[in-house]
Amino acid sequence: MKELSRAQIRDLMGEVLKNQGKALPADDAADLREVGFRSLDFSELALRVEDATGEELNFDAPGLRRIATVGDVLDFLVELQRQ
Amino acid sequence: MSDSTTPAQPVPPSSVVLVSGGSRGLGLAIVTDLLEADLKVAAFARTVTPELAKLADAHPERAHVGSVDVTDLVAAQAFVRAAEERLGPIDGVVNNAAVGQDSLHVHTATADIARIIETNLTAPLQLTRLAVRRMLAQGRRGRIVNITSICAQRGFPGLVAYSATKGGMDAATRSLARELGGRVLVNAVAPGFFASEMSAVLGQTQLDQIVRRTPTGQLTEPAEVVPVVRLLLRDQTNINGQVIVVDGAASI
Repeated sequence: MKELSRAQIRDLMGEVLKNQGKALPADDAADLREVGFRSLDFSELALRVEDATGEELNFDAPGLRRIATVGDVLDFLVELQRQ
Repeated sequence: MSDSTTPAQPVPPSSVVLVSGGSRGLGLAIVTDLLEADLKVAAFARTVTPELAKLADAHPERAHVGSVDVTDLVAAQAFVRAAEERLGPIDGVVNNAAVGQDSLHVHTATADIARIIETNLTAPLQLTRLAVRRMLAQGRRGRIVNITSICAQRGFPGLVAYSATKGGMDAATRSLARELGGRVLVNAVAPGFFASEMSAVLGQTQLDQIVRRTPTGQLTEPAEVVPVVRLLLRDQTNINGQVIVVDGAASI
């Protein structure tokens, strides 16, 4: 299975935000609320990762609720690809 | 063939009740309540919990319990036959067994969607069909109570497939009530979110929001739903084809 690196996922996250006129901070500790990255943006990012890897990424909501920073998003999706 | 209605005899109170998903939560509370009301109860669940086993031990003449997956129709049929041999003809059904959901629709595996629909919609329809066929074949009347959810009437993220199944059961409740012409009373009880169990699928923020919007200022407890189920099974009310919401007016 093709797997995207953390950096590649970060690039995709930047594209999701750029399409909305927002910028992705370089700091992984940046708060998603301040960035303006919402749950549907996370879904869009996950679906972009799916498109790139050709594998569905299914997951329950509780994991999403723990995500608060840019780094959390990247960690979650990197881990999800390995499951 | 004429479907004209003629004044029918009232449907008598249920005396032998089949409860699916009776091992914990609301299902266990319903089983407990019906046994305390001196009814005979046949209860099954995927796993017979110690609590359900204890109830069966305490009421050996009036309780029949077993481990049955509600989606296993053959096993459900065998359970019903065994229960009727032991307790007598079933004249009440509580369709309570269900699986929850906690995932956005686009990130829910197709197999999980199928499993939710099979457990929450197909299985209770099959169980109802089985029970009603036995009631009609034996010339009996009866009552059916479907446990649905406020999700059938209001939208909540993360519960798309679950809500669809509960809405389906609400719709089936109405059509069955029409179809069975007053010989079998069919109603649904739609609880709001419980403080435990299903509410575990909501975030604290969502729970706090629901509580704030609820005029009674509290989430629903199983003990508050149980009397409504008992009323529909036992009382003479002429309630038929209805969905009774028990949510402290959170949804109005």
